[in-house]
Amino acid sequence: MSQVLIQAGARLLNALGRHSELIMHAYVNGSVVERDHSPKVLEQLVQLGVLWRPDPQSALRLKSAVRTLLEGSLQDERNRTINANIGASLASLKTLAEHYKEALHYNRFNEAHAYMTDLTEHVYQLTESLGNSVRVLFSRINNEFGYVSSVEAKIRENELAQGQVSDLLNQLECFRFDELSSIAGSNRELRHLLVVSLQQSFSRAAQELSVVQARLLDLLGRFREFQGRTRLLKGYLLHMEQQPDFTPGNYPSLSQVPLLFNQASRLLGNASADLNQVGHEADYQTIVAGLTNVHRRKAQTAENHASKEIEVTEQTSVALSKDPLQLAVDDYFCEVIDNGQPMSALEYYAREDLDFDPEVWIYQVIGGYQSLADADKQYFALDANGQPDPIYSGNFYISDVTLGLR
Amino acid sequence: MMTEQGRILGSLLQGQFICQVSDEEGWRHLKSRDNAQKLEPHLNMLNRTLAATADGEVFFAAYLTLGDEERKVLTQQFQETASSLVPLVEWLLLVQQASESDLPVTMGNAIRLNELQSVIEDTPAYAEQLEKISRYRLFGSTSVNLDGQIKQVFKRLTDLGYLLKPNPEKQIYLVTGKVEHLYEMIKFIDETESLSLSEQAEAAIQQGSLL
Repeated sequence: MSQVLIQAGARLLNALGRHSELIMHAYVNGSVVERDHSPKVLEQLVQLGVLWRPDPQSALRLKSAVRTLLEGSLQDERNRTINANIGASLASLKTLAEHYKEALHYNRFNEAHAYMTDLTEHVYQLTESLGNSVRVLFSRINNEFGYVSSVEAKIRENELAQGQVSDLLNQLECFRFDELSSIAGSNRELRHLLVVSLQQSFSRAAQELSVVQARLLDLLGRFREFQGRTRLLKGYLLHMEQQPDFTPGNYPSLSQVPLLFNQASRLLGNASADLNQVGHEADYQTIVAGLTNVHRRKAQTAENHASKEIEVTEQTSVALSKDPLQLAVDDYFCEVIDNGQPMSALEYYAREDLDFDPEVWIYQVIGGYQSLADADKQYFALDANGQPDPIYSGNFYISDVTLGLR
Repeated sequence: MMTEQGRILGSLLQGQFICQVSDEEGWRHLKSRDNAQKLEPHLNMLNRTLAATADGEVFFAAYLTLGDEERKVLTQQFQETASSLVPLVEWLLLVQQASESDLPVTMGNAIRLNELQSVIEDTPAYAEQLEKISRYRLFGSTSVNLDGQIKQVFKRLTDLGYLLKPNPEKQIYLVTGKVEHLYEMIKFIDETESLSLSEQAEAAIQQGSLL
């Protein structure tokens, strides 16, 4: 018999191991996506009691036993509920203890041993479930019911938790140690289990529960304060919407000004530097050193007149009057163009009876020719008349120039 | 050398609010009754007295006796406060609604400007609300973009002492005890004028849920 049981258990555990991914997926998401897995595997898991279908339309879910196992081992407190059925457990403990005592009495040691194992299991289960229940409450308190967003929801959660605490406390009242100790009698093992170990867990649970209760009340107070504040703010805005001209009474004119509105004005100004204080000299120096890059502009108070109106009119154009010498050169050029005959500068000078210095005149004619634009220059030819220096070769004295058309 | 007492006296006389967020050491100092009593004569000499609000968590200097001059100051101050209540309350509600937890803004809260800004940017209703708030004279923003508006609002609130920016590099603001003082003032107005604001809000919420 036991061999068969062991085999079946091993098969179940193997199946759990083989399909661990599927199971963890179902654990996290709540249900199995049936498309992703072969129907044969799913069928097998259903037969092993790992998955089940709550009703024909719904998806496959993890059996609660598997879920509890995972929650217990992973210390995942999300979905844990509080098992507060202590009364029933205590009753079964008492029955088992009676069985055990009877078996001992009739010297059926095998039977007694089995009862003892059972009893131990039950006691430890009970202590564990007590510990779990308190831990669940604590974990909820520690994140201040952070998994619900609104303050109202937090208050509801808090009330639920308080209900659970009082339930647990009621259940704890089921422990009657006088009864348990009389059942245990003088049996050492029974005493250890029923009195010592249960009492320890009882006192621990009771102690922690009182802390939990205090924290819950504290939190509830805070949530209520939050709620009150939100309402106060919203109410104020609503009121201002309905009566936009509302102004609170002038409280500072009351004979007894409420402390809230009695706020003294600022009094302290900056102190000034005492230059006679020798001890501060170094500090002053660093301060002054830090001032060097401050450029102070001269105060421009008086000079700042309003700008005058600006008149925008056409400016008189400036005509540059030409030098008479230059005009004479221009005339000379025109004369040459009109006649079409080459003409010596000095000839023209003599004919027109000009009164410049002849040398200046010749220079001006040469200058006039050189200053012509290249395009104009090519119409004219300028020949120099003169003779070479009698002593030094390479020197040429120009006595006159002749301008002609090319 | 300035003593702790002198420093606290100075900040009180400058009209600052001392709370756990703005000046923890000073706050701890004032929490001790002995220290507060030692400070009192110095304040009294200047016609000031140590006052506390928000269940003794926030300290400030109040006038000891009220003459005409003091009343004038207080009246002006009160009028300023009264006119800035609506913008401040709207801002408080905006921050509360835009934050994930929907918890009211209280002393010690950290407001991450970037997170808040991205939530407001993603929600047109909040963006509209922010624009409205930033236009109030109290904040005086003329910016057309949301970034400028929110920065201006936070800057003004920091200047006014409601917020504190512990690290100038980071856009994280801490809420100071002055906000608690603000709540107290609204509560006071509510009680004195018997406005029953909470009941009004409650009724409005219930009507909203019926519709």
